[in-house]
Formats: sequence, structure tokens, C-alpha cells
Amino acid sequence: MAVILKAKREVVGQNVLKVDGLPLATGQPKFTLDMDLPGALVGKILYSPYAHAEIVSIDTSEAEKVPGVACILHYGNVPRVPYTTAGQGWPEPSPYDTVLFDKKVRYVGDRVAAVAAETEEAALEALRKIKVEYKVLPAVFTVEEALAPGAPIIHDEEDAEGIYDAKRNIAAAVDVPIGNIEKGFAESDVVVEATCELPYSQHAAMEPHCVIAYFDEDGRLVIRSSTQVPFHIRRVVSRVLGIPIHRIRVVKPRIGGGFGSKQEIILEPVAAALALRTGRPVKMALSREEVFVSTRTIHPAKVRVKLGAKKDGTLHAIELEAILNTGAYGAHGGTTLYNVGSKALPLYNKARNLRFHGKAVYTNLPVAGAYRGYGANQGFFGLEIAMDMLAEKLGMDPIELRLRNHIRTGETSPIFEKLGEGREGKPQVIRSCALEECLRIGAERIGWYEKRRNPRRKGPWAYGVGLACAMQGSGITGVDMAAATLIMNEDGSFRLLVGATDLGTGSDTVLAQIAAEVLGVPVEKISVYSSDTDFTPFDKGAYASSTTYVSGNAVLKAAEEVKRQILEVASEILEEPAEGLILAGGKVVSERTGREVSLSEVGHRAFYVANQRQIAATASFACPESPPPFAAFFAEVAVDTETGIVRVEKFVVVADCGQPIHPKLAEGQLEGAVVQGIGHALYEEMLFSERGSTVNSTFFDYRIPTVLDVPEIEAILVPSDEPTGPFGAKSIAEVGIDGPVPAISNAIYHAVGVRLTRAPFTPERILAALRTKDKERKG
Amino acid sequence: MRLRGVLRFHWARDVDEALSLLRAYEGKGAILAGGVDLARSARTDIEGLIDITGTGLSYVREDPKGLRIGATTTLSELLFHPLSREYAGGVIAETLRLVAYPALRNVATIGGATVSAHPWADIPTMLVALGAEARWRNEEKEEKASVEELYKTQFRGIFREAILLELVLPHWDGVFVFEKIGRNAGDIALLNVCAGLGLREGKIAWARVAVGARPERGERLPWLEEMLLGKEPDENLWKKAEEEVKERIKVGSDRRASGEWRREVAGVLVRRTLARAAGKAVK
Ligand SMILES: Cc1cc2nc3c(=O)[nH]c(=O)nc-3n(C[C@H](O)[C@H](O)[C@H](O)COP(=O)(O)OP(=O)(O)OC[C@H]3O[C@@H](n4cnc5c(N)ncnc54)[C@H](O)[C@@H]3O)c2cc1C
Repeated sequence: MAVILKAKREVVGQNVLKVDGLPLATGQPKFTLDMDLPGALVGKILYSPYAHAEIVSIDTSEAEKVPGVACILHYGNVPRVPYTTAGQGWPEPSPYDTVLFDKKVRYVGDRVAAVAAETEEAALEALRKIKVEYKVLPAVFTVEEALAPGAPIIHDEEDAEGIYDAKRNIAAAVDVPIGNIEKGFAESDVVVEATCELPYSQHAAMEPHCVIAYFDEDGRLVIRSSTQVPFHIRRVVSRVLGIPIHRIRVVKPRIGGGFGSKQEIILEPVAAALALRTGRPVKMALSREEVFVSTRTIHPAKVRVKLGAKKDGTLHAIELEAILNTGAYGAHGGTTLYNVGSKALPLYNKARNLRFHGKAVYTNLPVAGAYRGYGANQGFFGLEIAMDMLAEKLGMDPIELRLRNHIRTGETSPIFEKLGEGREGKPQVIRSCALEECLRIGAERIGWYEKRRNPRRKGPWAYGVGLACAMQGSGITGVDMAAATLIMNEDGSFRLLVGATDLGTGSDTVLAQIAAEVLGVPVEKISVYSSDTDFTPFDKGAYASSTTYVSGNAVLKAAEEVKRQILEVASEILEEPAEGLILAGGKVVSERTGREVSLSEVGHRAFYVANQRQIAATASFACPESPPPFAAFFAEVAVDTETGIVRVEKFVVVADCGQPIHPKLAEGQLEGAVVQGIGHALYEEMLFSERGSTVNSTFFDYRIPTVLDVPEIEAILVPSDEPTGPFGAKSIAEVGIDGPVPAISNAIYHAVGVRLTRAPFTPERILAALRTKDKERKG
Repeated sequence: MRLRGVLRFHWARDVDEALSLLRAYEGKGAILAGGVDLARSARTDIEGLIDITGTGLSYVREDPKGLRIGATTTLSELLFHPLSREYAGGVIAETLRLVAYPALRNVATIGGATVSAHPWADIPTMLVALGAEARWRNEEKEEKASVEELYKTQFRGIFREAILLELVLPHWDGVFVFEKIGRNAGDIALLNVCAGLGLREGKIAWARVAVGARPERGERLPWLEEMLLGKEPDENLWKKAEEEVKERIKVGSDRRASGEWRREVAGVLVRRTLARAAGKAVK
């Protein structure tokens, strides 16, 4: 779908070739493990078979005898430094409840020991020969069990910091009242309530977690990792291993996807510790099963939403309660919890009475972490189903209800100030919002009004349409900072050095476009290098939908400064003031005389001829605001009323991400997020045995949507103009995952009249709901 | 990595060579066809892999006994073969199209599917419904049995020492159809049904119905087939068949679906497949 941009631009808004497209398409070695280091050892991890146990003793004597084994690490021979595996800004909002190796294990898959050996076979044999004596402790597998009085305490260690209430297994908690919620409901004409549940699910990035750690010729530690957060790795590894930051270099090559799972510092300190102990390079790569069991998952959540509204549909009170299962460790627990409210509640800012409360609770199950959406998807699951119920009860069209309540340009919500990154936030006014237009276009593309009025029925198949709305943010206000360095070569080309981490999103291309637009050159003249803590300036990393907005603004500032320097040199050559000069088409032109000088001439003069200097600039952007992108989601489903099968027939997603820098990549982000959301809606759920071990830890058992499952998806961008964004841009990476689950649930309701509030909506669950409804009707 | 113990790979030129190699390994060798199951095998005792895809067992032919399908014929070769398209109303293509995904079908073989015979698989359900005959050879002799009978024995033991040569699918004067429910495309079945009917003078002359992935392997429902004989094919009959199946079928629960769901949906799928087969048979 074509995008109409506000201003004609040369590079921004164009679907230029992806800067790394050719090497990726031709299979050039660019990923973490595409590097052979002579003499590298293979690192492997021993995982806990118990959900909760004390380690009474570890005997590695037999394992050490295995030929080729170089080193075995466990709690007995590494320093104990509490930290968080969450790759977040400093000071980290997540609790310091993790150590490299502990005397206690807290879930099946927890780290017990690590081996480095000459070969994978030797490492695996050594793992088998490590004798561990466990004292098994009672375990809790649900939030209810964990919160019950007398429940086993998962984090009873004394040195943990930042846990909200360790004795009650509460990692984080929140309770924010605004106005008077009780009075608000009492004054409402209509009240509805929905409780929705999202289970454990996987990011399923194509490339599993992997890392290489080694010491370079100067004895500095180099970590080459598939990560979203190279600078946070450097800081955390420095803390855990006691190596000064300046002695550590982290390199991020190409990444085969992350979706939040690589905003987590899992393997890096282990590989570094093994390399440190052996003095040899260490390679570690997880199998898919290990990724499932021992890395990170979405935050499973139970979200209860109660809405009160006036007869005309104006919301008057919203209560949102979120109970997250954060698993055995609290990485991202509190911040994901805060995001449930801080992303979902401002969308309908007409309600004066609000209450957001909830907990992130420890259990003896795999560790939840950052996952695309980051709480917003959990929040909108509950909110958007409750909105559908409210529309029905009011006898109002669901679009009309949204239009009556959603936030608009120039408006604010008290939530922005009350809820930030695990603490208070900052006030913010919306400067761009095209949600109304998104709803209008989406309704038209799906055929909303006609299909709502006359739902189709064909044999056992019942058809329905449903919608949801959502918003996200663009970076984290008051926390995130990114920097960019732009250097000119003498031939008039540029090097753009960014700490921003393209994890497959295409952000290298987007950042190059921003620089190219300012400098009046095609994208091919910009070589992007991302990211290497030795050679690229600081960037918080790829998360919180921040790269285009935060890193993009840094690039914009750097490019403007470089442009100023170019015009300065050109003005020396052309002998007229810089104010009358225009930089475009690879040259500087005098407005007055029409005389011109090429960028190559400017470069040569600056390098070699007169007033010699390097044309270059580094600029930073700290995120004073986090402008939300908005989206409207429309699903058309067909439900087989005899088997419970649901087919998504068509999906329309219409989003306002400000001015899209690269429309095709932005649409790709939406399409991918919708597919991931369809997976959450229909198939994905990690299952656990009675002892807490993951039983479906392969893609054979755990289903994710494939290309054969993808329905017709129409991804449409409705540009707004965000005055604080680079060329008017806001984020697009996450918002697309917030809507599919509620939109599909609402469409199922429209088709067959049953509300599915427990994802995934499997044939079994749908058929059971249909039969319950039949019975109720008869009874 | 699986199959850690493998030391040698053999490219057998003919079935005799493969059999003598198999015997020489004394239980530590494995016949390798497409390898999609072997690659997932947890066995660590296998030392030798004996590839039989070059032994001349890849073919699809027709003769008076029926359709003969060589054991190493890949699922894709079979799916796109003109003979299988014509066979019994096109049921082979209908089934195979729903088996895994194209990349897997390009290497997986019909013989491997028959020998592995996963309880959740679709191919065994189809073979049982069609009354397929399996022919195999060990070092002493060649033997044959219907796939249905074979599955009632300790058949895995047989193929530790024998090679499946071919499957013979008998000619049917009528039509078979196949249906499956998986969680998404490429998934294994939560339930599958293969049903066939022949009509004579407006009445059902024969009927065969097999239901698989219950979660147990596909088996026929003889009581249902009998009930259908001689009846006029119409909506009421299919409804009755559905009720009968919901009443009598043996199903169980596993982590992918409950017995309760399987019971209800088995009835639905049997009704739908019978109705569709009858519709096609009339044409
Ligand atoms: C991911 C996946 C999805 C699947 N989905 C489906 C599905 O949807 N529906 C379905 O019906 N099936 C499905 N299957 C099963 C699939 O059809 C079989 O696994 C496949 O056909 C096996 O064939 P192969 O040639 O690869 O066997 P191999 O792996 O080569 O062999 C399998 C076994 O049979 C033995 N063997 C093979 N050929 C012979 C022979 N001629 N004589 C004696 N022994 C032999 C081998 O020694 C081995 O023990 C799926 C399998 C996988 C891995």
C-alpha cells in the first residue's frame, strides 16, 4: 500500500535497498558464529533437573578427567556477585536476584555448572560426569501457589537487592490510583469486566543465542555476541567478573532475530568467565531446546479490566489489574508490569477515575523477560476485549466507542506522569495521532459495517469481524540515550558509526537514510557500522521501540553538524557565506551564482589542501518524550462450529508511525508482528510437566505460524507528523503485536457468540466454549 | 545432535547388499531412506547407516493387483505422480498434501512412513483404510501382509532384519477421501480420518473408515462399516454414523487434545468424509 508523505524527500520515505540486503541474500558470513578462532574451546552448560533445590555438593573430579576438558565452573569456584540478566539502562530497574552460579536452583533449566572443552563431545561427556547432590525443595508453578501463605520462598538469599517482597515471592508491585475508582464505577451507567490470560510463549528467533569470548593481543576481553544490548553487556560483565569496562570490548555482528530474548545477558558472562579461567577463546551456542528451557519467555499474565462508562459511551472509570508470572528470576518483571498500565491506559484518556495495580510474581518456572510488546500486549488483550463487551452492552459500534474515547493530538493522560520505567514517569502531551484515520481506513478495507450487520454463515463455518486498537511508545523517557558518529571520507562518502543494534529490523538502513537525506547523497554513500563498543558510540540498544526515534534523532543531529562543517569548507572554496549555499545531489551549490563544488572537492580540500581537518561529528539524543505510535487492527475469522477450528481469513492493520522512513520495512514490522500475534492467539503455549519441566521444547511440538498459515494481511501506514521525531518519525516495531490477540477474540465473539479470554484459542477451547453456551441456552 | 554413535555410512547398490550389511551390524545398523525420522532418533547404539535410496525401490506402477509403490518413493514423487492422482478418487494426493510441508515431503519416503508408523501420522491411517499390502524381504525370504495386519504385530522387530520393498494398493470401485485436523499448517494430526465408499444401484456396496491420531494409530471401525452396508447414502445416514462414532469410538487424551474433543470431532470428521466420498462417488 502506498504511503503519502507530507513533504517530498529524496531518501527518507523511499523504499531504498536494504544496506545489508545483498550480503545477507548471498549468504555472506556475518553472524556471530561465522568466525573461527584457532584453539577455541566449546562451552556447555549443566542445567538443573529440579524446579527448586539446594545443591548439597558438586563433585567434578570424574568430569575433569575427561580428555579435552579445560575448565569447569560452578558456585564453588566463581565469585558471587548479584546482578540482573536484564539488559537495561543503569541503574537497572530489575532486581539483582541472579548470580553466575548459585548454591540453589530455582527452575528446571537453571544454571548449575559450565564446562569448557576441546570438543563438544568432551564437554557433553563432562556434563554427564559432574555429580551433583540436590536437596529437593517444594516448588510452586502458578502465581496463586506462589502467593499462598506458607509458600516456599524462591529468593531467600540474603544478598539479593531490589526485590519488592522476597518473603511473599513478589518481585515487583504497583498500585496507582487516579481520581476515585469506586465512585467512578458508582457513577457509571454501564460496567463490564473481563479477565484475560496469556500463557508462556517463546520469541522463536531464528538464530539461537550464541557467543564467542576471547582475549585479544592486548589482553582485553572481546565478546562477540548475538545481542540487542552490546553496551549493557559490557557494563554487566564488568560488574560480574570484576574486569574494568575499558578492558572489555563487545562486538555485535548481524543478528538472526531477537524480539526481546536477546535484551538479556545470559551466555556472555559465562563464556567470558570460561575464557578468563582458561585463557582460551570460548564458543557457546544453544540448541533450540536450550533456548526454550533456559533463556527467556514472554511474561505470562492474567489481566483483569473493569470499565465504567456513561450512556453515551464516554469512559468514566478504568480499573486494570495485572498479575505477571516472572518465573524464577525477576529480569524485566517490574518494568513489564508497569508497561501493562503505562501503555494501555493512556489510549482512552477520557476516563477520569483510574486504578492500575498488579504484581510480578516469582514461580519455579522458566524465566520471563523482555518480549516484543513488553506488557502492552498483555494490557491491550484485557482492555480491548472489555471495550468490545462495553460496546455490546451500550449497543454501540465498537469503532464509535473507540472514537469517543481515544487520546488525540494536544491531549495528555495522567498516566504518563504516574507510570514510568518501573517508577514514576514524565508528563507528556501527544503531538501526533492519526488513530481516527487508521480506524476509518481499516473499517473500509475489511468491510466492517457490512460484515458486522450481516455476518456470513456457510455450512458449519461462521464468519465474524473484530477489532482492537493499541499504542506503544518510542523509547523510554528520561532513560534512553543514543549517540551516533558520522565521518566524512575525502571522496564525499561517509561512515556512520552507531551503537544501535540492527537485529534484523533494518535499522541500519533507516539510520543511513536519515543521514543521507540531511547530507543530500544517496544511501550508497553511507557505510553503516553497527555495533562495537570499541568503535561506535554508546547506544542503549535495540528495545522499547527506540532505534528509529532515539538513535535516529542522534543520527539526525550528527548529520546536521557534519552538514554545517561541509558548508563551512564549501564557503571557503566558493568564497561566499555558508548561509547562501545548498547541499543537495552530492554537491554544494550557491543560490546566488549557481556555482557549485562537489562533495569530493570539499573532502579533498579538508583532508589535504587548506585549513586541514576531519569533517566529522558525534551527537547524542536523550529521550525527553516517548511519542506513541497508534494502530487499529481488524480481523476476519471463520470458525468451524463443529470442530472449533479458527481460520484467520483476512487481517488489516493500519498504523500511524509518524512519517515512515522506509515504508516497506515499516510494513514488514507490522506484518511480522501480526503473524507473531496470530501465533499467540491460535497456537503458541509452552507446556510443563508436573515437575515443572518444559515438555514441548521443539518446533515439532510447539507450533509457530509458518508462511503457510499467514492469511491475507494488509498493512497500511497512515502518516502523521511527529514534531519531535527525525523527519516526523515515530516507532513501529512493537505496536503491531498488541492487537491481534484481542482482535481475533473479538472476531470469534462476533462469529459465534463466545468470548475467548484464555489464549491460545485452540479448537478444543473453542468447542468447549460453544458447548457451554449451548447448554446455557438450553438450560 | 542425535545418532552420536554413527561410524559408517553405506550406499547399498541393491537390496541384497543392504540386507547383508544389515545382518553384519547385528542390530547396530539402520536402514536409511529419507532420514527424517532417523535424524530425530535418540538411539545412540547405531553404528552404521545403510542408505537404500539407490536400490531401485523408487517407482509407482499399475498392474491388475493395484498400484505398486516402491518403498523409497518420496512423498513428493508420489504426490505428483499421474497414477496416484487417478487412484481411488485422488485420495493419495489429498492425504500427502497435508503431510508435513514440501521440504520434508521431498526427502521423506512412503516406506519410512510405513515402518515408522507414528500413531499420530496420516499415512498409516490412509494405508489401513485402503487395505494396502506390504511386501518385504529378509535374508531368507520375501513375505507380505496387509498393513492393517502388520500393525497388529511387533512389526518394528520385523524391519530390524528386513527391508520393506513395496506397497500394493488394491483397485477400488469407489472413492476415498481424507481429512485431518492439526493445530497449524505442517502440524501433525490431532485427529485424522480416511473413508471410502462404493455405490451400487444407489446403495452402499462397501465402506471403509479408519480414524487415526486418537492419539493411537489409525484403525478401521468395522462396526461402522457394517452399519453402512446396503444403506442409501443420505444426510440421515451420515448423521447416524456420526452419532455411532461419538458413542463407540475409542479415544484418549494427550497434551495436544483431550479425549472429549477427539470423541466429538471424530464423529464430525467421519460424517464429513462419508458425505464427501458419497458425493464424489456419484459423480
Ligand atoms: C517434522 C515432521 C512432520 C511430519 N508430519 C507428518 C504428517 O503430517 N503426517 C504423516 O503422516 N507423517 C508425518 N511425518 C512422518 C513422516 O511421514 C515420516 O517420518 C517419513 O515419511 C519417514 O520417512 P523417511 O524416508 O524419512 O524415513 P527414515 O527416517 O529414513 O526411516 C524411518 C525408519 O524406518 C526405517 N526404514 C525406512 N525405510 C525402510 C525400508 N524400506 N525398509 C525397512 N525399514 C525402513 C528406518 O530404519 C527408520 O527406522 C512427519 C515427520 C516429521 C519429521
